[in-house]
Amino acid sequence: MTLFARTLTGVSAAAMLLTATVASAEEILIGGALSLTGVQAPLDEPGFKGAQVAVKALNDAGGLLGKQVKFVNIDGKSDPVTVGNVAVQLIDQGAQLIVAPCDFDFGGPASREAQSAGIVGISTCASDPLYSSWSLGDKQFTLSMWNTTMGATGAEYAFNERGWKTAYVVTDQFIAYTKSLSKYFVAHFKALGGEVLLEDSYTNGDNDFSAQLARLQALGQKPDVIYISSYGTDLGAIIRAIREVGIDSPVVGGDAYDDPALFEALGDKFGSDVYFVTHTWMGPESHPDMPKFIDLYKKMYDSAPDTSFVATGWDTVMLMAQAVEIAGTTDGAAVAKALEDNEFNLLTGKLSYKNAAEGHAPDKAAVLIELKGGKPNFLGWRRPENPPAP
Amino acid sequence: MTAYIQFLIDVLSLGGAYALMALGLVIVYGILRLVNFAYGELIMVTGYTMFLLGGSALPWIVMAAIGVLMAILAGIATDYVAFRPVRAKSVTAVLITSFAFSTLLQNAALLFISPRPRNVPLPDIFSETVHFAGIVTPARNLITIATAVILLAVFAWVMKRTVLGIAMRAAATHFTMARMLGVPANLIISTAFAISGFLAGIVSLFWIGRIGSVVPGIGLEPLLVAFIATVIGGMRSLQGAVLGGFLLAFIDTGLNYSLPQELLKFRDAFTFSLVILILLWRPAGLMKGPASGQRT
Repeated sequence: MTLFARTLTGVSAAAMLLTATVASAEEILIGGALSLTGVQAPLDEPGFKGAQVAVKALNDAGGLLGKQVKFVNIDGKSDPVTVGNVAVQLIDQGAQLIVAPCDFDFGGPASREAQSAGIVGISTCASDPLYSSWSLGDKQFTLSMWNTTMGATGAEYAFNERGWKTAYVVTDQFIAYTKSLSKYFVAHFKALGGEVLLEDSYTNGDNDFSAQLARLQALGQKPDVIYISSYGTDLGAIIRAIREVGIDSPVVGGDAYDDPALFEALGDKFGSDVYFVTHTWMGPESHPDMPKFIDLYKKMYDSAPDTSFVATGWDTVMLMAQAVEIAGTTDGAAVAKALEDNEFNLLTGKLSYKNAAEGHAPDKAAVLIELKGGKPNFLGWRRPENPPAP
Repeated sequence: MTAYIQFLIDVLSLGGAYALMALGLVIVYGILRLVNFAYGELIMVTGYTMFLLGGSALPWIVMAAIGVLMAILAGIATDYVAFRPVRAKSVTAVLITSFAFSTLLQNAALLFISPRPRNVPLPDIFSETVHFAGIVTPARNLITIATAVILLAVFAWVMKRTVLGIAMRAAATHFTMARMLGVPANLIISTAFAISGFLAGIVSLFWIGRIGSVVPGIGLEPLLVAFIATVIGGMRSLQGAVLGGFLLAFIDTGLNYSLPQELLKFRDAFTFSLVILILLWRPAGLMKGPASGQRT
């Protein structure tokens, strides 16, 4: 095809899309770039399901600004380039808000495209502080607490509440999330007065923890607490390996632990004395509206949610809706201002953002969960007093 | 001393699993000169079979046997679906069909089960530990070593002493000649896929035994490991694949043990640098296979 012909097709396609957008002026389009396949799917698929429940609930209650809400998700395939392209495609189709994948590495490209189109993008649960207005732009947010809060909450629980003074820390060198989470745990644990006996590395996918285990055993003293920052099924492999050789020190970690498959993989034999910091708890103890959400979810999918990450999808859409209501428009700057200026009461906790100059740092509480005999128990909401700076 | 024994057990148990993975890949490659990129999915098939049987009252060993059987069937299916229709026509086509079959299986798991990890039943003995000579090691590691040794011995015997094994080696050496002398090509190739599936199934039990759950992408790492091990060991040689598996485990574990913390983050860079050095020294791998005939 010649350049001219290509330009011509491009122009006509754009014209068609334009008419399509005009034709659907009666609805608000929320575009999703969530990954339904690949390595990111375990975290994005629940968010996708939760978002759909939220959109239905919004529409049943009369829509947003008097218009129906439409949610279109195109699979980002756990590939940053595809995620970015998908976002462009959605924006071309008239998306006025973008739901970005649950991670900085995978979700960042969607937010960058939203930013350059001047609209608001919110990641369902990216927790690395890189997910900020500093790196992505003044209209970009993440629903999640940052790893500063997540790591510090774990440290405060260990040191202040339980009096664990010495720690052994494992960092999976997989993505920004796994690396920064343990960094902030270590920083806060030391600031509180704790001692880190050893910091060790792990390579995601190895499923072999033997060398690290040899070093842990060679320490000569049993750490009061073991902090593990890893991702996916490797977490199960690491915790099993530690427990198998009889090391029973309590294990603390972040939201990657919040997965029923991990609880089952540890079982009642190894699934005790594990504590983790996450977004919410799927029961009435965490939020009065939680049972209502679970009900709606069951109606839509005929089964109960199998992870609390579904709530991040619901919250992302509801957060967008509340901000749009306040702003009275879907205009990017106005919605971003509404997000910066207000506090929102969500299933995943009360949330307010710092302004764009301060990175849109989320001020958010975290949920602490204990694993006992392979069963999770809700320990309550926590908010670290003075989390480390990003 | 105990540190050395610990290290040795770690290397051998990881190496045993790696060697079986590599053997499963090379047995098909040896005959067809084609890498089966759907090999990792055979490991996934066993995992999901075990997950689906997880709720039943069957004893674990029966579930494991069914899981391995499903991997064998999936291996044979790979031949029928991805290889046989196109293998005589174009190498490129087979590369693409084997990738396609891999994607198809992965997406089937994604669509019909879930993208999220699913739990796999494990026998109690996998969670037990053995104490001896001052070290503590999971019983699973010792079982892995024993299984690898037994399987490798049986495999060597089959290849050297049985008609089937001799026919397979003949096919791997010079396929056209073997056919002229009456070796049935399709049967040999299907058998190779079945053995490949069997080895993948057994490996899957131990690999998933380390993790405790299965995800659609679980086969990627074993495929990569098997591929690297066979490249180091020699793409044409069965002994080479086994050697490559143990060597790769030795390199990985050795680096894990010896690298200082600052460098441990970049362990894969060191592993692959060593692999490159080995290949510069021995471009055809450590062990030469039979003198190559034509690709079939």
